[in-house]
This record gives sequence, structure tokens and C-alpha cells, in this order.
Amino acid sequence: MQRTRIKIIGQSGTGLLTVGEIVSKGLQELGFYFCADREYPSLIKGGHSCYTINFSEDPVYSLSDTADILVAIDKHSLVAYFDTLREGGILVHGYERTAGIADILKKAKERNIIIIALPSRQISFDHGATEQMVNIVLLGMIWKVLGFDFETVQELLASKFEGKKKVLEIAMKCLRTSYDRVPVQTLYATSLPKTKNETILLDGNHAVALGAIHAGMRFYVAYPMSPSSSILSHVAKMASRTGVVVKQAEDEITAVQMALGGMFAGTRAMTSTSGGGYDLMTETVSLAGIIENPLVILLAQRPGPGTGLPTWTAQADLNLAIHSSHGEFARIVVSISEPTDAFETIQHAFNLAEKYQIPVIVLSEKVVCESKLTVSPFKLNSIPIERGLVTGNDLKKLQSEDRYQLTPNGLSKRWIPGSSETYYFANGDEHTEKGTLTEEADPVRDMYEKRVKKLELIKKELPVPEIYGETENADISFVGWGSMRTVMMDVIRIAASKGIKVNYLHYRYVFPLNKKFVQEFAASNKNLHLIEGNYTGQLGEHLEPLMGREFSGKLLKWNGRPFFLEDVLSYIDKHFNK
Amino acid sequence: MDKKLLDQLSCQSAQYSAYESNEIITWCGGCGNYSIQNALKRALVLEGFPPHKVLMCFDIGCNGNGSDKIEGYTIHGLHGRVLPLAGACSIVNPSLKVIASAGDGATLSEGINHMIHTIRSNYNFLFLHHDNQNYALTTGQPSSTSPKGCQMNAAPEGVLLDPINALQLVLSSDPSFVAQVVSADIDMMTEIFREALHHKGLSFINILQSCPTYNKGVTDSWYLDRLLPVKEIKDYNAKDIWDARHIVEEKKDKIPVGILYHNSNRKSFNDLFEYRKSFKTNLTQEVAHVDIGSFLKELK
Repeated sequence: MQRTRIKIIGQSGTGLLTVGEIVSKGLQELGFYFCADREYPSLIKGGHSCYTINFSEDPVYSLSDTADILVAIDKHSLVAYFDTLREGGILVHGYERTAGIADILKKAKERNIIIIALPSRQISFDHGATEQMVNIVLLGMIWKVLGFDFETVQELLASKFEGKKKVLEIAMKCLRTSYDRVPVQTLYATSLPKTKNETILLDGNHAVALGAIHAGMRFYVAYPMSPSSSILSHVAKMASRTGVVVKQAEDEITAVQMALGGMFAGTRAMTSTSGGGYDLMTETVSLAGIIENPLVILLAQRPGPGTGLPTWTAQADLNLAIHSSHGEFARIVVSISEPTDAFETIQHAFNLAEKYQIPVIVLSEKVVCESKLTVSPFKLNSIPIERGLVTGNDLKKLQSEDRYQLTPNGLSKRWIPGSSETYYFANGDEHTEKGTLTEEADPVRDMYEKRVKKLELIKKELPVPEIYGETENADISFVGWGSMRTVMMDVIRIAASKGIKVNYLHYRYVFPLNKKFVQEFAASNKNLHLIEGNYTGQLGEHLEPLMGREFSGKLLKWNGRPFFLEDVLSYIDKHFNK
Repeated sequence: MDKKLLDQLSCQSAQYSAYESNEIITWCGGCGNYSIQNALKRALVLEGFPPHKVLMCFDIGCNGNGSDKIEGYTIHGLHGRVLPLAGACSIVNPSLKVIASAGDGATLSEGINHMIHTIRSNYNFLFLHHDNQNYALTTGQPSSTSPKGCQMNAAPEGVLLDPINALQLVLSSDPSFVAQVVSADIDMMTEIFREALHHKGLSFINILQSCPTYNKGVTDSWYLDRLLPVKEIKDYNAKDIWDARHIVEEKKDKIPVGILYHNSNRKSFNDLFEYRKSFKTNLTQEVAHVDIGSFLKELK
């Protein structure tokens, strides 16, 4: 599996995002699979940004930290990222005062790096453009280096600047000049895919928005917080064509109260946030627990504590999701890893929240939120909508006591307020079956138990974790959740090509956990390692008591960066059973 | 109460009884909550709302303890958060008459941000602000409407700060319906609630509520002696926000009561969504697979 790795680097706000997006779109049109992510600081202008694209004829789910082609817009970024360019790779830059990068050029020569350079500002000025067209000059260079035809990129540029005739005219001249001035003999050997893969291109947040809308979410409320914010933008953009009501709330407490109220009043509603915002929501999660109200919250993780690293990634809020909120009650915590998973899992999240009448916390991560992937077009109408509501003639046979009736498995009937003449009290104070307040010892004990014991039912019914690779006797095994799935899917294939058997146990559903499955996996895979994006190995701490033994090792990462292929492959080299 | 209305109510005694609960009432004798809840029941019956078409959202505290003392769909939520909760219910399920109740602690301290944004959003529900000038269920600590200097639990030397003028705050936030009543006047409450039930948008009813246990200085008769019905003020124009703002600022020795301000031209939140004009359904009726095929095409 040949994978081509490009990094486009420069200061934030210099237009490299546009270049990255156009290149991505172009690769998709040519039929490649790819994964792209953007590293950037939490500011609008300045600081280094890096747009990384890995593409291949076969599906690509995660990124390498090494580049075959490094495209630099300015000197500072070049210095910061130069060492990630592989020996014999290609450096594309538009930097004119080469005296300033003499050191880099010397190092490049030592490492057999091919340099493709054009005076990007001069080319822009020659065509009557400002410095802002430098990125288009670089686009032409990249495209030529990759060996693709001019027509594809020309069309892409035209659609990018649609309706801006004058700008397009100048941009096109810059593109043509730079494309033509890259010498042909330095082309990177890229062959077009044998079969043109039909894909859609999107990131995890976009997929969540689409999945939620498809699942009948009619009310979305949120307060912006990186890296969840673009879900709000996506839902808002789709609102007028779908009729979804979107509300940007005054704070996260409002957002979650409105999501809860929306669900209570009878529709499907949802909110999204990141760790700090979720902290504010936790009291409402507890309210959902006691009134047995469905609630769906997407928690997009970034490194904390405090403001932490707003634009970087982490998996450090698993315990927050599991343990948040006062009191004891049933909940489900589920993780997502890439667009298809996000699209499907969010639909399941609504079903689970409504069926069990509980909060469902969907854990995402910055690398999931923003990584753009080409995936097969989503299957529509494949996940039935299950609301668990009393409907039709049954609404006439209800008693108020049915709402919180004590049942063997803890589940009682729920119906939309107003749908039946039989009303009920959804009481945040401890209550009887009808919902009236009680402080009597026995009814309190029984109602408390009713709510918590739903966990046993959920444990029985939740899908089991998935195994990727061999089911047993791997040379090395990993256990993880969330975005670990994507990096492990790539790693398993790469390791197999080197003759190493790697397998991976993936927890999409991270709470509540079952003993049986992980015990069996641990028994048949001796060299078992944990992989997580946090310091303490949070899932591991939950799993070890269930497995009855410790992990052979833990691969943990907490510097804000996602797991790159190299992280896992070098760990495997050290730890696999030879 | 007006004889005609009384007659009408007695004809509708079955409908009235439907709101009556068997639960043991836990309020103190003389508490303003009795009359507020009674006035609400009267208004709902007179305006033809049966209990299963009403959704009452309660904050916590003494009035929240009434969440199971009146029949109908109720939700008893968190402290300070009832306004966004009720807002969501009114957006999602407009077939229900949504009524929210909260005290001065919830409205002017814990959730004061929600109050401002709820008025700004103009959600379509009736809000009963129970202002008894203290935190009664936690045994009488001062609230942000307690008079300065008043000796209270946790303020033995007297309250240090000036109170918040709730109505000034409300009226400066571009509301669409603002009224003030006292819990001692059940007839006026009934009359105002009846009007407010038909307002499209947020009706903010400031209820000056007696608390005979922890706010002994301000009794029913203290309130009744100081009423200034705006209806009786010559040239008072409830459509002019400045008439309302002047009266709540200037009449320090009097309590202006009645509908202080009413703007029926402001669109309620639900009416802001032009793209939903063609929908005959509400959001509770639309939970089904939504076709996203055209969005996916754009991603190819």
C-alpha cells in the first residue's frame, strides 16, 4: 500500500487551509482515499499551522508524522517542520531570500532532498496580485510535483472562487505560471488509482451533524467551544433545508437544559461542547438521571485542565464522562473515531438515550472532529429510529403511575407530554411512581434502585467491543477506544506487510463495561497493551480489574498531538513477541 | 371576584377540580403560594385549558415544592435553570401551554443570565416570578430583592447591599409582556394570568409574594395598602415602554400593579423561523429519518 504524505506549513491566516482544501478535493476527484488534519494554534493570525494529507489508492484512516513532500509558505514554519521531511523527500517552497534559509538548504542537500523553489511573491506581484496569492502559486507547484494534470486543479480553483471573476482571473494566472515553471523532470511518481473510488469527503463534526439530522434531531442547541463548534455551524447551514430549529445558547448550562427540555417535550434534541463546557452541564446530566429523561451530549475532547490546549487533541475526559454529576444513575458513554463511525454512532446514541431514558455522552476528540477523510457514501435509513415511546391506542390506557413504575429491569413507560390525557410529574426531587415527592425510606430506596439497575440491562444489551486483526495469538495486541481505532486499522495492515501479527480490541461503547469479553480477549492474547491519548490510562484502569491482570505495557500520549503511525510502529518494534 | 366570573367558575367546578391534587400541602399557613396557585387554576379553567394540555415547569424552593400539588404535566428541575427548560418545551411542543415558576433567588441570582436571554429570545410561555424577598426553603437568607438593612438569617447585622430592581432589569431588556401583581390579590392575579395566557411570546409576571415566616415585615396588608393599579392612572399607556420604565423607577412608595407593558408586535421565538412557515407539524411530530441525500452529494 503506497501512501503519499504531504505537509503544507505556514503561519495561520496565510491561506494554507485553502491550499490544503483544494488539494484534498482534487485528490478525491482523482479517486484517491485520504486523511487530512490541520495542526494550528488557538489564534486567528500568526503561529505555525500545518495541513497534513496522507493519500493512497486504499483507504487511509490516520496520519504519518513524516512527510514525503513538505510545502512551506514561510521561513519560521520551514524551520519548525523541516525535520519531519524524509530523506530524499521533496521540499517545495516559495521563499525568495534564500540566504535566510541557508542552513536548511545545506541540511537538505546532505539528506538528498529535492528542492523545488519559485519566487512566489514575485509571481503574485507580476500578475497584479497581493501577497495573498502566494498560496495559489504554491498550489500550482504542489500539483505539478504530484504529477497531476493542470485541468483538474484549474477546475477546482474556478469553483473555489466562483462568483469572484476578477480574483479568479489573477489566481488562474498565478496557478498557470507556477505549474508551468516547475521542471517536469522532478515529478513525484504518483500513479492514478486503478479504480476511481466513489467517496464523500468530510470531517467527524460534519458527520455528526449529518447523522443527527438523519436520525430525526429537530432541535440543536449549543454554545461554541473548540473543537465542537463546527457542529453548530454545520447544523445551522442545513437548517433551512431540513426545518431543524437551531439555537445558539447563552451558555452551556442553557444549551444542555434546552437539549433536556427538548427531549422531555417530545422531540429529538442534542448539544455539543468540550470538557470545560461539559463541566458546566453536569448538574443537568444528574437531573436527566433522576427524571429518567433521554439526553444526548457530544463531548469533543481537547487537552485540559483549564483552558488547556483548545485546538489540540486528547482522550482525557473518559472518566469525566463516566463519573460526572452527583448521585448514582445509569448512563451510556460511547466514543467515535472517524466520519462513518460518527454518522452511525450518533444515530445509535439517540436510540439508546430514548430506549433506556438516560443520558448518553458521545466522546469525540479534536482529531476526530477535524480530520477530513474520504469514506464510502453513508448508508441511509439503515438504522431504525427507536424511541421507546407509548403511542397510538396505548396512550388511552395509561395511568400516571406508569411513568415511573417499578419494573424488574428498571424500564418504565414514557410518553410525550400532551400526547395522553394521563399526565405525570417529572420530579427532580425523589419521587413515587406517579412522580409525587417522597422522602419515605422504602419508596426512596426502591426508586433509586430502579434507576441504577437499568445499568445491568444496558450491559446485557450493548454491542460487544470489536476486534480488528486476528482474534487470538497476536504477536502484540492493543486495547483502546475512540480515535485509536483509526490508527490501529492502518497499523495492523502495515505491520502485517512486515510479517507482524497485530490485533486491536476496540471499545466503541466505553461505559458500562462487561467483564466477559475482555477477559476472553486477554486470555487468548498474552502480549496485551493499552493505547490511549491520556496520562493515566483511564480505560485501562477500568479494564484491568475486569481482566484480572495488568497490561503488558501502556502506550500513552498526552502532548496534544494525535497518535501518528510512527508512534505505534516504533512501540511495536520494541514490544512484539518475536 | 366578579360575580359573573364566579358563576362561570362554579359551572366549571369539574374542570377546576381536575387541577386539584390529593397531595398534602407543605407550605406555611398564609404563604403566598396558595393564592398564586389558586389564581393560576382559575385562569386556566376560565381560559379552557385542561390539565393534560398544560406543562408546568418548576424551579426549586417553596414554589417548586408545589410541582406535585397541581395536576397536569409538570417538570421540577434545577435551581436557576427553569427558564431555558421552559423555553425549550415551548419551542418543541407548542401544542402545550407552558408555564414556568421560579423564585427571586433563581431568577435574579442563580439564573439571572437566563432571565435576560429568555426575555431577549421571547420564548412563548408564561413566567411567574415569585418574589418573596428571601430564600425561604433554606430558612430565610437574604435574596437580591431583600431590603437593605433588613436583619435576616446569615445577615445578622442587616443586608449590606441595595436590592435589585427586577422590573427595571426586565423592562430594559425589551420584553413583550410585563405585569406586576401581589399574592394578596387573588382576583387581580387571576385577571392578569388570563390575559397573559394568550400572549404570544414571554409573559413576565412579577409576583410580590407574602412570606409570613421569613419576611414578616412585608405582610399581605402592607402590600395591599400600597397598590397603584396602572389602569387607574390617567394617560398611562401600557404600550409605551417609557411609561412602564418611569413608573417602576419613580413610584418608590407605591406598588404599580397590572399590565405595565405589552408589545404584541414583537415576534415570539417560534415565529422567527421563516423556513418553518410551511411546516404544518411541530418538532415532536417530525422525528423520522430526514433525507440528507442532497447534502451528501455536495461532499462527492
